[in-house]
Amino acid sequence: MTRWINLTAPAAVVATVSSAAQAVQYLSIPEAQKQAFPSASFSEIQAGRIWRAESAGRLLGFFIFDRVIGKHLYIDYAVALDPGGRIRSVEILQYRESYGGEIRSPSWLAQFVGKSSSSALQVGSDIRNISGATLSSQHVTEGVKRIMAIAPRLK
Amino acid sequence: MLPASSNECLRRARPLLGTFVEIAVSGAPDADIQAAVTAAFDAIAQVHALMSFQEAGSDVGRLNREAGARPVRVHAWTCRVLEAALDLHRRSSGAFDVAVAGRGATSAAIELLPDDHVRFADPGVKIDLSGIAKGFAVDCAIDVLRAHDMPRALVNAGGDLAAFGPQAETIHVRDPRNPSRLLLLISVMNEALASSGHGFDSFRSAAPAPTAVIDPATGRPVEAVRAATVRAPSCMIADALTKVVMIAGTGASAVLEHYRAGALVVLADGSVQMTENLQGAVCLAA
Repeated sequence: MTRWINLTAPAAVVATVSSAAQAVQYLSIPEAQKQAFPSASFSEIQAGRIWRAESAGRLLGFFIFDRVIGKHLYIDYAVALDPGGRIRSVEILQYRESYGGEIRSPSWLAQFVGKSSSSALQVGSDIRNISGATLSSQHVTEGVKRIMAIAPRLK
Repeated sequence: MLPASSNECLRRARPLLGTFVEIAVSGAPDADIQAAVTAAFDAIAQVHALMSFQEAGSDVGRLNREAGARPVRVHAWTCRVLEAALDLHRRSSGAFDVAVAGRGATSAAIELLPDDHVRFADPGVKIDLSGIAKGFAVDCAIDVLRAHDMPRALVNAGGDLAAFGPQAETIHVRDPRNPSRLLLLISVMNEALASSGHGFDSFRSAAPAPTAVIDPATGRPVEAVRAATVRAPSCMIADALTKVVMIAGTGASAVLEHYRAGALVVLADGSVQMTENLQGAVCLAA
């Protein structure tokens, strides 16, 4: 039968607040454009925001860059539309969060006790994989709806 | 790792399943990774379309409208998830229940028939697969990445994640009492990890947000367990078992053992307990 082990309650953790920003860059705008329309050339319709994707004079669709507030920092994302204004894909380009900065602080790292027998744990590494997080994607969903409202006017 | 020429690492994220789904792949040529990641996102989008509670055209929407009256044919994936859900329902003494939306009805009323047909014996039954489908979607994405011969990958759907490859991945688990802090690190190798609990959604609020997990025995939100993290061979099982552990707490030993899973719980009194099979994989913040 599986036994349970009682770990020391890390009560002191609750008192501290970290405010350092953590950003994840997934794709640049050119990378995301290439991803959405691999063989296309792009011409700007609205500077830094809306592009037409074409190949050999044929319209393939539109690429729209937008930015919404996440928890309280910006999320950059891009929507690719087909020539009829339907969504082909929605891709997150950059995600910023205002926590997680403590992982770089030596005093925080020093708190880790009960050294694991597994050498796989890299305490000094960046925050790459966070579990226990339900990051709100609601604002991106709302942003995509706003983009769909202007989509019929794109030519 | 592989030679430098094929040592590309790519991370992409899309809004799916009501959260951000991130896929990270390394160790293959860039074009191969791009194709594999796009196919993996497509699989997740398909699970979303099949199992969304909100979308009327989903399998779940059709089942909730029609399966009380007649057998409804669903996608083979929906059948697989329902089969696992019924098994979890039985093995957890009813703690895991996808039929929570119906009045007094339970998963026992769900009948799986031949040729991917499903019928509800009780017309009052409604199902919600949100407690298991996200994990299944992660597993589907992992299957696609493996089928594309990717050497190393991690799929993270808002905290429900799975990884494969030659080395373990270190996962940072948030403190449910203060999501701006990390509670612990845990290593995951060719397996899955899922978390559930109070506080993960409330970034600024001092009071814990109401948990989405309802105890079918009382019809009330779970209180004694503040958060649960489960490690299991598949993400579908890990996802579902977080709900069992939220309800049963340390009483979930037998069901965890059956599914070859391990768990870590933060109890209402602030103490942290974990199953002994996680020893060696966990590094706790003191």
